[in-house]
Amino acid sequence: MKTILALLMSIVCAPVACAQSSDWQKQWDETLTAAKKEGKVVVVGSPDPVMRNEIIPRFTRQFGIQVEFLAGRSSQTLGRIRIERSSGLYLIDVYMAGAGSTFYSLHPEKMIDPLKPLLIHPEVTDAAKWKRGKPWFADAEEQYVLVLFSSVESLLMVNADYVKPSEIRSAMDLLKPKWKEKISAEDPKTDSSSGAGMALHWLNELGPDYVRKLYVDQKPTLSKDRRQLIDWLARGNYPICLSCKIEGANELTKEGFKLQEVFDIEGIRNRVTASPFLLTYANKAPHPNAARVFVNWLAGKEALEIYSRENRTATMRTDVDESFLDPRVIPKPGVSYFEAIDAKWIANGRLEAAEKMKEALATR
Amino acid sequence: MSTITAPPLASSWPRLRGVRVAEVFVLLFFCLVMALPITFMLAGSFNTAAPGQPWSWGVENWVRAFSDPQTLSSLWMSFLFSVVRLIPSLTLSVIVAWLIARTDMPGGNAIEFLCWFAYFVPDFPLTLAWILLLDPHFGFLNTAAKYLPFVDGPIFNPYSFWGIVWVHLGTGGIWLNVMLLTPVFRRLGASLEEAARVSGANTFTTLWRITFPVLSPMILAIAVLSFIKGLESFNTELLLGLPARIYVYGTRIYDYLRQEPPAYGEATALGSVFLLVLFVLAFFYRSYLQGKKKFTVVTGSGYSTLRVKLGKWRYIALGGIVAWFLIMMVLPLVFLIIGSFMRRYGFFNISSPFTLAHWQNLLGDPLFIGSLKNSLVIASTTAILGILIYSIVGYLLASRKLVAPAALEFFCWLPWVVPGILMSLGLLWIFLATPLRGILYGTVWGIALALTINDSPVSTQAFKSGFMQLGPDLEESARVSGASWSYTYLRILLPLVAPIAVTVGMLNFGSALTSISTPVLLYSAESRPLSILLLEYSFTGEIERAAALGLLITGIICVMMLIGRRFGLRLTGPSREEAKPRGAV
Repeated sequence: MKTILALLMSIVCAPVACAQSSDWQKQWDETLTAAKKEGKVVVVGSPDPVMRNEIIPRFTRQFGIQVEFLAGRSSQTLGRIRIERSSGLYLIDVYMAGAGSTFYSLHPEKMIDPLKPLLIHPEVTDAAKWKRGKPWFADAEEQYVLVLFSSVESLLMVNADYVKPSEIRSAMDLLKPKWKEKISAEDPKTDSSSGAGMALHWLNELGPDYVRKLYVDQKPTLSKDRRQLIDWLARGNYPICLSCKIEGANELTKEGFKLQEVFDIEGIRNRVTASPFLLTYANKAPHPNAARVFVNWLAGKEALEIYSRENRTATMRTDVDESFLDPRVIPKPGVSYFEAIDAKWIANGRLEAAEKMKEALATR
Repeated sequence: MSTITAPPLASSWPRLRGVRVAEVFVLLFFCLVMALPITFMLAGSFNTAAPGQPWSWGVENWVRAFSDPQTLSSLWMSFLFSVVRLIPSLTLSVIVAWLIARTDMPGGNAIEFLCWFAYFVPDFPLTLAWILLLDPHFGFLNTAAKYLPFVDGPIFNPYSFWGIVWVHLGTGGIWLNVMLLTPVFRRLGASLEEAARVSGANTFTTLWRITFPVLSPMILAIAVLSFIKGLESFNTELLLGLPARIYVYGTRIYDYLRQEPPAYGEATALGSVFLLVLFVLAFFYRSYLQGKKKFTVVTGSGYSTLRVKLGKWRYIALGGIVAWFLIMMVLPLVFLIIGSFMRRYGFFNISSPFTLAHWQNLLGDPLFIGSLKNSLVIASTTAILGILIYSIVGYLLASRKLVAPAALEFFCWLPWVVPGILMSLGLLWIFLATPLRGILYGTVWGIALALTINDSPVSTQAFKSGFMQLGPDLEESARVSGASWSYTYLRILLPLVAPIAVTVGMLNFGSALTSISTPVLLYSAESRPLSILLLEYSFTGEIERAAALGLLITGIICVMMLIGRRFGLRLTGPSREEAKPRGAV
């Protein structure tokens, strides 16, 4: 009976599906033709070896469209783009920026246009391909800011030759005197760093007093250089690192350095982030068709799998192979996480927490 | 009785008018490219509205910036660093330049070349090399020292006040000073020194009472440059100071600029302190120089460059300099070179620690060849533009015929007292506001112009000091002989300052290849230079590839230096062999 019903459904629906298929195909072909005429897409983002070494060559090879990637610190790049725009120059097509730049600059300053209408390829529009049942737009209008990654962040990393992960079961364990001057971290006062993001998370979960004890009384050694932090961790200079990420330690772990991520610490929830970037479409983009091709491809399986493998990050797609990921980075249903791009947190919580952070660290 | 006829007044009038016209042009140019962007940034610091919103005036940014208790403490720390570095760096560089240019110490030319080379080794990888040598936990020297019987624990620590001072002494300061001072010492005629010696003065007295006072404009200018640069410095402090909780003023500005959205207002407010310091220093500098002609060392009446004979001390001096160079440059450089061939910089205990992969990846990077071409075009253009513009500015400042010399002098210093990224932001604004934006924005030409502007302090001071050494009689003689100003300038004055021109050209070439903060806001995909590629590698933690690229850039500069020096030495006049008194120029 089920087989007959399925057969009937397929006979009824086939022409509709066929028509839809030919609709998107026609639109896609037209877009592609126009995009090739435009010749290039201009993308802005943080310096990114994955983009430079993998994404750009593959995209160009596949579509014959050049990618001009302007890499730089978002604070600098956005300053430049503001002046360009005030002079009537609109040179950018696509932004790949962090949550701070996206929600505190691009969106409120109307530097972006809705991205949702650009998504036409069935690989992207197919609801079944997305973990949330549809592409997730994190802005209130659900039009502008496309979230492509959602990954659980470790709370810290340890060098197991010096610190057993079991020695840090609760947040209070970190405050023990034996870890004094054994901890390293990114400067929590640098607003744009992810280290600061993590420090804000500690503050949000455990309060300013805890953060003061951790970042002041425990005398952690600070750096603004992620590579320096990882190297210190590997050498055991500072065997606990509050800001290290496993993607920076891949090579060292392969060499046998016992660098381990710690996800479970009693008293603090895990944080889910959209790192490494949020995708947005520039207002008055000069190459709209090339931009459309680029965002459809970037949100597709091939590109996201590259990012997932290189950055050890879970994506929002259901069809990306996650077998090579640490299962702990994949958000699990039913677990309470802190969502780093939650609208309320972005609108108020983060800014309030940043103020509290300044007060808490003022004694340094 | 013969009658001496004064030269007709009419002949000096067009000359003076030419100077006036040049002064007006130069002032207008500087107003446009230096004063206007800075005024724009200063005005912007009083805008309290969020980016993208209509301007709203207020002093909140200034209050916020200066009410932070860390601002004053970091300013004091920067001041301390600047002064502590300045004293040994200036003393050593004056001595080394004198030894190279004015004595019979062997190997002077080679040492001068090595200074050039050392100056252009990029700071970031070199600082990493020092960490590898001095880190208290794993530093090579500390590890080696453990085997000494009387050593108990690490003896070096780069994450400290003195560690930072030490690294600074090896990365730039002294080398630059020697590069600037040597041509000026070379240009110094020996007649005054000879007169001193004939009067019974020994070498030290001659140096102290004659040579240094005569060269004081350049020495003072370098002191001011070094002091301001020291106040602004933050890159090394960021890497070495933060772990020791040493915060400097530049780091405060950097933090404001890195905020999201960036706090340009607060950063500009803090940057204004450099302007204030400049006002004060410029005032004293001008007061010192005003109305004195004691700096003239090349006149039409005779010129010789006899070198001081050091006797057996010449080998001791050479040994000292070579030892200094080996410790401060060769040692970290060796580690830097090794680092570029290591799978993981500084990790000797991993399996197969050495690889060619970083060099292969660098040369195979699709962006590399394009960036290399862009860098060469930018650097060559910057060098030529720098010589053309600043030789005229230097001449004008030395001529003492200007209506507004203080203003011109002040403009010339501006690019170094405004934090690089703020200056670039101002220039970006200017470039986009002009009808030439199609030529200037996002192109190699725009970047070259911006870099030329950025080179103004060193270039101007170098030329100015060079021209101040030339006596007015040279120009007067040419005029009396009927030469036009342009003929006099091109055929008499410019050849005499040619070594300085070569120095300035090479300096600008090297700075253009290594500068990051200026092109970072002005480049496009078509005009991306190598320095931006270096920034990307450093930013993403690919420091081995960054080290390889840094070395490659140094290699390119090295080749250019060899060519430039050969050319420059030919223009300098007597070589060591022919270093004996000779007649008038």
